[in-house]
Amino acid sequence: MNYVPGTASLIDDIDKKHLVLLRDGRTLIGYLRSIDQFANLVFHQTVERIHVGKKFGDIPRGIFIVRGENVVLLGEIDVEKPCDTVLQQVSIEEILEEQRLQQQAKQETEKVKTAALKDRGLSIPKADNLDEY
Amino acid sequence: MFRFQSLDEDCTLEEEDEGLIQEEDEIDQFNDDTFGAGAIDDDWQEEHKRLAQLDERDGLGLGLGGEMGGESNSGGAEDSSSTHLPSSTGHLPQPSSIPSLKFSSSSSGPPPPDVEDRGGEGDLAESLARLILEADPAIAGVGAAERPGPSPSSSGSSLSALQGLDLPRVLPSILHPTQPHQHPHHLQHQLPPGPSTSGLPPGPSPSSLLSYQQQQHLLRRGTAPMAQMNSHSIWENSMGFGPVSVTPGLVTHMEDSPLMSIIKEVGLPKRPPQSRNDEGRDLSERVPPPRSSSPVIGSPPVRAVPIGTPPKQPMSHALNHQIHHPTAVHVRAPVQHRYPPPFPERVSPNTLLNIANSPLCRGPFPPGVGPVLSQIQRAQLLNSQVAGFPHGGPAPPLLPGGGFRPFFGGPPPPLGHRMGPPPPHGPPNHTPPIRHNTTHLHPQHRRMLTQRMQNRGGDRGRTGLDRRSRDPYSNLMTQKEKEWVTKIQMMQLQSTDPYLDDYYYQNYYEKMEKRQERERDSSKKEHTTKLITPQVAKVEHTYRPVQFAGSLGKLTVSSVNNPRKMIDAVVTTRTDDEEKREKQVWNKRRQILYTVEKMYSLLLEVQDFEKRFVQVPEEDREALLEQHKTNTLQLCNSLREKEWDDRVSDEQCVMIMSVRKGKRLISRLLPFLPSPQAAAIVMAISRNLPALAKKDKQDQVLCWLVEPISAVIQSLSSSALTDLLQELQGNEGQLATVLHNKFGVTLLYLILSEGERMQSSDPNCQLMDDNRWTELVFSVTRELLSVPTSSLSSPLFTPPNLLSLFSRYVDRQRLELLQDKLQISSLS
Repeated sequence: MNYVPGTASLIDDIDKKHLVLLRDGRTLIGYLRSIDQFANLVFHQTVERIHVGKKFGDIPRGIFIVRGENVVLLGEIDVEKPCDTVLQQVSIEEILEEQRLQQQAKQETEKVKTAALKDRGLSIPKADNLDEY
Repeated sequence: MFRFQSLDEDCTLEEEDEGLIQEEDEIDQFNDDTFGAGAIDDDWQEEHKRLAQLDERDGLGLGLGGEMGGESNSGGAEDSSSTHLPSSTGHLPQPSSIPSLKFSSSSSGPPPPDVEDRGGEGDLAESLARLILEADPAIAGVGAAERPGPSPSSSGSSLSALQGLDLPRVLPSILHPTQPHQHPHHLQHQLPPGPSTSGLPPGPSPSSLLSYQQQQHLLRRGTAPMAQMNSHSIWENSMGFGPVSVTPGLVTHMEDSPLMSIIKEVGLPKRPPQSRNDEGRDLSERVPPPRSSSPVIGSPPVRAVPIGTPPKQPMSHALNHQIHHPTAVHVRAPVQHRYPPPFPERVSPNTLLNIANSPLCRGPFPPGVGPVLSQIQRAQLLNSQVAGFPHGGPAPPLLPGGGFRPFFGGPPPPLGHRMGPPPPHGPPNHTPPIRHNTTHLHPQHRRMLTQRMQNRGGDRGRTGLDRRSRDPYSNLMTQKEKEWVTKIQMMQLQSTDPYLDDYYYQNYYEKMEKRQERERDSSKKEHTTKLITPQVAKVEHTYRPVQFAGSLGKLTVSSVNNPRKMIDAVVTTRTDDEEKREKQVWNKRRQILYTVEKMYSLLLEVQDFEKRFVQVPEEDREALLEQHKTNTLQLCNSLREKEWDDRVSDEQCVMIMSVRKGKRLISRLLPFLPSPQAAAIVMAISRNLPALAKKDKQDQVLCWLVEPISAVIQSLSSSALTDLLQELQGNEGQLATVLHNKFGVTLLYLILSEGERMQSSDPNCQLMDDNRWTELVFSVTRELLSVPTSSLSSPLFTPPNLLSLFSRYVDRQRLELLQDKLQISSLS
């Protein structure tokens, strides 16, 4: 609003803490330092936050440059607002381990499902092959 | 050594050349640093050690004032400053970004001879600084611009003059008292920098060091824009940045040489005098010669810098310094009113900042405050500098009169007046409310916006800004860059057809207006305001190649943008009528072909009947026969125009015969037809022979018909034959046409020979019953005689009994003539 009245712009979001969700499912939190006309974002002091169940872990990543087309959502974080106490922060190793277990469980269920479908002569294409269509 | 002398000589020239000098200087520095050319002979480490020792000797207790008196003082000051120069070298690894610095270190080489020149001032450090001063045209140039001719000896006056300039004064002015009388040409160099570098600011030494570097660059930038002021192409090559749309001299600083080459190219035709001075430079890497293949010539004007390129940050390294050494730079309120007019409107924010960042200003402010404010103030500075400048960037194409103006046209003037002391309200870095250009928005929309802004402004202005003020990394994106992005976004909003591009916006406000009007009642009768969105005039962007009036031929220049026309294709549009006619013709032909095809399929079945009949077993023969009959019937029917008409349609026949395939078809068909029908067909053929002959000119396939026709003829009765002959003769002149045609002649002969055969074989044939036959033959003979031999075409074959036929009817004389003409041999 500051710079381009009547339109939406990321200019006002600069130097604020943001949370961005990427198309590959990653969640990054960092200070938005710079943008461009494609909404490519430059994040500073970025932290990748992995959520597994009620636990989460932060992995510090430094500076990130995100290509605009890979952004799903982007939102400002209110640093003053008290954090949710429901989620429990754990160490990086722990959260990665949790994530790995989660992925494993998911894969197994997927396997079972596809096997069952195969028996019935059906097949569901994997989502990642479809891309966005 | 050489180059310094040349510099000295050049310094007497005008300002414009100083830019060049400076560029040469920079290039030399470049070479020096990059390639470690012979200028530096001694080890920088040793140099550093020496200087460090010097530093220990002298303190930094120099005041800012114009204390030019004591050489030791200034020497000491200079020592300290020069000490820090080499030390700073260690800090900055980038060779290209700080040529000044390198220069200073490198100049330790050449100085010794100069030092001796200066009357043996043994202090190397002194001479170092001196050389920096004298050799740095930026400083000299800056001073020269403002030089009102101050007296060399009165340091105070010059100092004040320069104070008026508000130039940086880091470099000590050792030379000032000593130099001027020695070398008059040095004077011009020395003088301005002399007083300007009268002493070091109070405070920690690194700060002065860094600021020196910045100022070096700053001043360099400062001269270039000045030089550019004299050129006329500021606006044309404008990108919103002085340094970018640049004199050739500054190209070396640019890191984006392909970009610059484009600028150079565009700028080149306008700057021939400068090119002469560029001998020392390697032009090959910059500008392709303006040959006929140049994309510039013969093309629409090329943008100097494409729209999508971000603003250049020539001073980015300075910025990095600030970030890495947060305590070093203390930027305070810009002293705008002291800015010298020579500075162009568009100077990079860093430049401006560093100008403002002079040691003078630094006094009252305590150290330890973060560098953050610099960027914001930089932005403010920029805005103020931009005052009176309508566009922050290249103008959007073809604006209508009061249509769209970039929003940043608005803020500068009001901001400018508010500069100086920090705004009293709010935290020191609270950006004053920017008045945007909202003319393109709907008035309702504008009202809503302002309301919203007011509400928001009060709420969260304070806390957010406070936090941001403490963030050392804030404002990495400069104001310029923000403006650049928004400019792009606004340009994307421009549309030639708002109802197409922004349908919902337009409709929404229209509805709102209507609603309001309804509520407000028609007492006011306001004229419904038209929505104005940034509109661009619809311009024809077709490119027309350069044409010269009165010249023969066209320009042979071809380039990427206007390739040669290989084919001069001309579009010929047919009128509707013609098209209709053509279509009709084609449709008819297609229809004929279709009919022919159908008949063919039937015919083939009929022809194959016999074969199949033999093969098929007994039971099915009946069925096959039936089928055969139907087929035949169908064939016959198809020849008729209408189903109920018994007669074979002439038209249909002719139609079919007009196609080559049709003729073939008929020839194959005739044997299968029942005799009356076959006769009728032959009649039709003979009746329409001229037409058929004409159509057959291309195909020449009528003769295929000879065989089946002859078969038919032989089966004809006498009366039928007579009729046939009559038909053949038809109207007046038909026979002549017939005789022209091979087929016709053949047909005629066939008929005649058949008649003769009839007569000769069967005495009571009815051929002679009426006179018709005789008459016809007479007319035929007459015709045959009268027709010139050349036009008489030879038949396919000559029946043998023609002679006897003719002998019956014609006298001897004529018979002989006929014989000759037709080459009918006697029956032997």
